[in-house]
Amino acid sequence: MDIDPSRVWIIVPAFNEAQVIGDVVADLRSVFAHVVCVDDGSSDTTAETALRAGAHVVSHPVNLGQGAAIQTGVEYARSQPGAAVFATFDADGQHRLKDVVSMLERLSRGDVDIVIGTRFAGSTISHTPPLKRLVLRAAARLGPSSRRLGLTDAHNGLRTFDKTVADHLDLTMSGMSHAGEFIALIDENRWRVAEEPVEILYTDYSVSKGQPLLNGVNVVFDGFLRGRLRR
Amino acid sequence: MNWIQVLLIAAVVALLMYLLRARSNAKAKAWVKIGFALFVIAAVYAILRPDDTTVVANWLGVNRGTDLLFYALVIAFIFTTLSTYLRFKELELRYARLARAVALAGARTPEG
Repeated sequence: MDIDPSRVWIIVPAFNEAQVIGDVVADLRSVFAHVVCVDDGSSDTTAETALRAGAHVVSHPVNLGQGAAIQTGVEYARSQPGAAVFATFDADGQHRLKDVVSMLERLSRGDVDIVIGTRFAGSTISHTPPLKRLVLRAAARLGPSSRRLGLTDAHNGLRTFDKTVADHLDLTMSGMSHAGEFIALIDENRWRVAEEPVEILYTDYSVSKGQPLLNGVNVVFDGFLRGRLRR
Repeated sequence: MNWIQVLLIAAVVALLMYLLRARSNAKAKAWVKIGFALFVIAAVYAILRPDDTTVVANWLGVNRGTDLLFYALVIAFIFTTLSTYLRFKELELRYARLARAVALAGARTPEG
């Protein structure tokens, strides 16, 4: 990897993930020096487990949602001395470490500001359930920003990005609508973006923690209202 | 087309405009107060002379004053619902930022 791993910060938003967060953090720590786990008001031992596994821990006093947790993690990481490269990584164990590494390599070529993981590009075999796949692909094609940017997977939790993106990131959608907002911010700020094929591990655990498809209705509605609110 | 239809459609369009450019500033707040003052005057008048609402309704192509008031109520209700929704969203964002500041102040590092 061309990027100095000591300048990389991995941001892991977590809500009641005590069962798996220890392994996820330990796995990340085997490659990266800096992991920050944002405990989103968990009622279990997520924060302590992550801390013991070697992560920095920032705890929301109340549950705010994944979007808010990512924003908190980015704000923490970007204020750390030497931080230059950032990655978001879901806490439920659905992402693969080697995908982050290849996305960081892609970012290190220097021609883009942000790399987003996609389940639906290249030759990777996607194990996404058919209905979920259909909805996600439709979302990517129907969203004005993701279509303009040519993105194929608008709701992937894996992203790697540079300091420019981290410094200007301001997610206001606290819940699951942040993924669409992230894409819209890329479009508005003219950040250079690329996609990298990744695999999502649909384990029983990650599926049980995943969001129901019906939540897509909320996501679409929030996207419509975005920008109507005072910042 | 009846006048009431024109008015109702205009009201719906105005609501949409409000939704699209909802930003609480001093001007908007002043208009809300003026609107409320007009509402009070109209309410007092309608209470004193209830049959006049039917006269106004007939001008607008509605049979009964009651129906006219009902239409106005529906529009007012939608307006209130939307502005409350937007207000809540705005408060949620502030609340998130407050919670974030608390979280960042209490950050823990693995070194202890």
